[in-house]
Amino acid sequence: MTSLLILIPLFSVMVLNLPSRTMMRRFAFWLSLILAASQVCLAAFFGTDLWNNANISGSFFQFNLAVDNLSRVMLFSIGIVVLAAILAGRELIKDENRQFNFTNLMLLILAGMNGVVTTVDVFSLYVFMEITAVASFVLISLQKDRDALEASFKYIIFSALASVMMLAAIALLLMVSGETGFPGISHALSNLPTSRLTLLAVSIFICGLFIKGGAMPFHGWLPDAYSAAPAPVSILLAGIVTKTLGIYTLIRIVGFVLSPNYALNNILLLVGTISIVAGALAALGQKDLKRMLSYSSISQVGYIIIGLGCGTPLGIFGAIFHLFNHSIFKSLLFTNSAAVESRTNTRNMEELGGLAERMPCTGTTSIIGFLSAAGIPPLSGFWSKIIIVVALWQAGFHAYSAIAVMAGAITLAYFLSMQRRVFFGKIKEELKSTKEANFNLLLPALLLAAITVGAGILFPFVHDTFITSFFK
Amino acid sequence: MNYAFILFGIVFIPIAGSLLLPVAGRISSRLRNLLALFFVLCSFAFSLTLIPLILSGGTLTFSKELALGFNFVLVADGLAVFMACVSSFISAIIVLYSFDYISHYENQNEYYFMMVLFLGSMMGLVLSGNLIFLYFFWEMTALASWRLIGFFREKTHVLKADKAFLVTIFGALAMLIGFITIYSQTGSFDLAIIKESLKTIPVTNLAVLLILAGIFSKSATLPFHTWLPDAGVAPSPVTAMLHAAILVKIGTYVFARLFLATFTLDALWHTVIPIIAAASALVAAGAALIEKDLKRIIAYSTISQIGFIFFGLAVGNQAAIAGGLLYILMHGLAKAGLFLCAGIIEQNTGIRDITKMGGLFRTMPVTAVAFLGCAFSVMGIPPFGGFFSKYLVFSGAISNGRIAISLVFLVGAFMTILYLLRLFNLVFMGEPQTSQAKEKSRMMVACVMLLAILSLAGGILVNYPVRFIQTAIQGMVGMVN
Repeated sequence: MTSLLILIPLFSVMVLNLPSRTMMRRFAFWLSLILAASQVCLAAFFGTDLWNNANISGSFFQFNLAVDNLSRVMLFSIGIVVLAAILAGRELIKDENRQFNFTNLMLLILAGMNGVVTTVDVFSLYVFMEITAVASFVLISLQKDRDALEASFKYIIFSALASVMMLAAIALLLMVSGETGFPGISHALSNLPTSRLTLLAVSIFICGLFIKGGAMPFHGWLPDAYSAAPAPVSILLAGIVTKTLGIYTLIRIVGFVLSPNYALNNILLLVGTISIVAGALAALGQKDLKRMLSYSSISQVGYIIIGLGCGTPLGIFGAIFHLFNHSIFKSLLFTNSAAVESRTNTRNMEELGGLAERMPCTGTTSIIGFLSAAGIPPLSGFWSKIIIVVALWQAGFHAYSAIAVMAGAITLAYFLSMQRRVFFGKIKEELKSTKEANFNLLLPALLLAAITVGAGILFPFVHDTFITSFFK
Repeated sequence: MNYAFILFGIVFIPIAGSLLLPVAGRISSRLRNLLALFFVLCSFAFSLTLIPLILSGGTLTFSKELALGFNFVLVADGLAVFMACVSSFISAIIVLYSFDYISHYENQNEYYFMMVLFLGSMMGLVLSGNLIFLYFFWEMTALASWRLIGFFREKTHVLKADKAFLVTIFGALAMLIGFITIYSQTGSFDLAIIKESLKTIPVTNLAVLLILAGIFSKSATLPFHTWLPDAGVAPSPVTAMLHAAILVKIGTYVFARLFLATFTLDALWHTVIPIIAAASALVAAGAALIEKDLKRIIAYSTISQIGFIFFGLAVGNQAAIAGGLLYILMHGLAKAGLFLCAGIIEQNTGIRDITKMGGLFRTMPVTAVAFLGCAFSVMGIPPFGGFFSKYLVFSGAISNGRIAISLVFLVGAFMTILYLLRLFNLVFMGEPQTSQAKEKSRMMVACVMLLAILSLAGGILVNYPVRFIQTAIQGMVGMVN
C-alpha cells in the first residue's frame, strides 16, 4: 500500500509519455489532480494502520517504507500543496506544451516527496531527495527567462553542495554503524561512545539539511529561487518542497534517529533564532511581494528549527505542527501572490494598493494566511507557536523563548506593511479595473484558508485526535 | 439542569453569528443590521440571566480538560458577569446607533462582521478562566479593532490602524511571556489551578511587570497610550465601542481578574501602579486641554479616566475596588455617549476642529443636552453616576492613607472639569461659525440621549449596581485574603 504512493505517480508519468502524448495531454491535469486529492483524503481519514509497511529486499539492498504519524502529516501536506500548485498551474501556465511538462514534473516531485517521507533508511532518503531536487531545478526554470535560469543555477550549486555533504555523511554513518536503516543507525549511535567520526558525520549531514531547508545563514539561494520561479512552482517550493527536503528530514534525523545531544540542540537553537530574527528583519525591507514571502519563509523555518532544538517531545511535536501549519499558510500566501500577479502583472508592492476592494476573496484569505503566520489567534499558527514557546520555556531556554515570542511583533509588522501596500487602503486609480482571480486560484486559497481557520478554532478537536495520538 | 449552554451562548452566538453577517448583507442590508443587533442582544440577555445566580452567591463553570494545562474553561463569576453585562449592553446601543451612522459608507458588511466578532471575543475574554484562552480572545479583539480603525481605508488611517495593532500586540506578546513564567511556576494556565498553587508563594515581579505591559498597552496607559488618540480616525461608533467603552476596559478587567482575584501582588506594586496611573491621568488631561480635534480630546479624556480606574483597583481595599468597577460601568456609558455625540457633530458639520465650531446648541439642542449630561457624569458631578464611582475611589484611597496620591488625582479630576467644559463651550456655545448643521438622524440622537439618561439614572439608582459589585468583590477578594 505504502509503495503505491511512490509507484502510482511514477507509472502515471510513464503512461502519460507513451507515444500517444497528444491524446494524453487532456488527461494529464485531471490525473494529477485526482492523485493529489486522493492522497489528501487517504492521509486525512485513515490512520497509520492502513499503511502496511513495504519491505523489498534484494541481495545487495533493502528498500523499506513505513508510515508513522509524522509521515502521515507530511503526506497530507504534500497532497494539499501539490493540489494547490496543480490548480494554480492550470490557470497560470498558458502554453500547452509547458503545462504538460509542468504536470509531469509535478507527478515526479510527488513521487519523490512521498518517498522522502516514507522511507526508513538514509540512502533511499538521499535518492528520493535528489529526485525531488532535480525535478524542482527544471520547474524553477520552466519559463526559461534569465532570472529563472540564474535562480535555478544557484539552487543547483547549493543543492549539489548539500548533496555531497549528505552523501559523505551517509558513507561515514555506514562505516560506523554498518547499515543505513534508521533503526540500525539509531541503535549503533546510542550504543557506541561518541567518536569524532560520528560527530563529523552528523554535523555535515545537518549542514546539508540546513542548506536544503534554507535556514540562515545557508539561505542564499532561497529568495531568488522562490521569487524567480513561475507562480505555481513558488507555491510548491515554499509550501512543501524545501520543507520536505530540509526540514522534515531534519526532524526525522534529529528527533527520531539521533540520540538527544546537547551540543547539537544548541546549534539548532542558534541557527533557528538567527533565521527567525534575520529572516523577519530582511522581510521587513522587501518591495517584491514574493521576495518578502520568501524571507518570511526563512523566518518561519527558524521556529520549526528551534522547536526541534529544544529536544523535548513537546518541542518536536510543536515543530511538526508548525511545519504543517507553515506549509498550509505559506502556500496560501503564495497562491494569493499568484492571484495578484496574474491580475496586475506586477509584484512590486509600491505599485499595488487597495486590491481587497476588487479582489475580496484574495484579500480576505491573505489576511487569514498572514495572521496565522504571525501567530495571531484564532488561527492554527497561534497554537503551533505557543506550543514551541512553551516547550522552550519548559526546557529552560528562557531567552530563546522570549526572542521567539517577541519576533512575532516583527512578523506582524512586515505582514501589516504588506497588507497596507497591497490589499488594505484606497484602491489606486490604475488598478480600478482589476478583477478577482479565476476559480482555479480561488479554490486552493479558500481550501487552505479553511484548513487554517478550522485547525485553529477546532483546536480542542485537533488536540484530541492528533496530539494525544502523537504522544501515545 | 446544565447551564453551560448559557456560557456558550454568550460567547459563541456573536462569534459564529458574525460569520453569517457578510452573507446576510448580500441578501439585504436591513436583515444584516437586525441580525447584528440580535446577536449582541442575545449575549446581553444570556448575561442577564446569570445575575440571580451570582447574587445568590453561585458561579457557573464549564471546563474541558486539555493537555499541557491548556484547559478550556469558561467561568461566570461576579466580575465576569458584571463585565459581560456592561459591555454587551453598551455594544447593543452602539450597534443601534451604527444603523444610521454607517449607512452612508462602503464596506458595511465588514463593519458589522467585525463589530459583532469583537463583542463575541470580548465575551470570551471576560468569561475565560484560562490564561491561554484569555490571550486567544485578547488577540481576537485586537484583530477586530485593527480592521475597524482602518475602516475608511485612507492611507493615514491604515497606518494608524497598523500602529494600534502593533502596539497592542507588542504588549500582548510581553504579557504572553509573563503568562508563560507563571506557567513555569505552577504548571498550568488554568486560573483555578494557578490560584491554588500561588496561595503560598508570591508571583514573581518579572511576571507582573510583563503582564502589566500588556494591560497598559491595551488600556492605553502611559507609556503605551499614543495609539488611542490616533485611533480616533475610525468611525465614531467604533471609537465609542472600542476605544472608550469596551476595548480599553479589557486591561482593567484583566488587572482585576489576575491581580485581585487570582494572585497576591507584592506590596511594591500597590505603590508603583498608582503612580503610573496618576502620571497617565495628568499627562492625558493636559493633552486634552490643548488638543483641538474633537475626537482626540475625548480620547485623551479616556486615557485620563482609565488612570482613575487603575488607581481604584490598585489601592485594593473594598471601597476602592468597588469604585474602580463602578467606574467601568459609568465611564463606559458616559464616554460612549460623548463619542457618539462627537459622531453626530462630525457627520453633520463635516469638521472635527473645535476652534472652527460654535453655537451648535441652537441647531442641535438634544445632542447638546445629552453631551452635557455625559460630560457631567465623566466630570463626577452629583447626582450623575460618575460622581459615585469617583467618590468611592477617593474614599477608598483616603481611608487607606493614600493622601498624597489622592491629591494628585484630585488635580486630575479638576482638569477633567476644565477640558470638558472648554470643549462644551467651544462646540455648543458662542456664535455659530459654520453653516447651520441639523441633527439628521433621530435614531442616533435617541441613542445618545438614552446614554445620558442612563448616566443620570445610574447615579440615582446607584445602589443596584453597587449591590451587585459588592457581591462580585466578595467573590474575588474574599478568596484571596
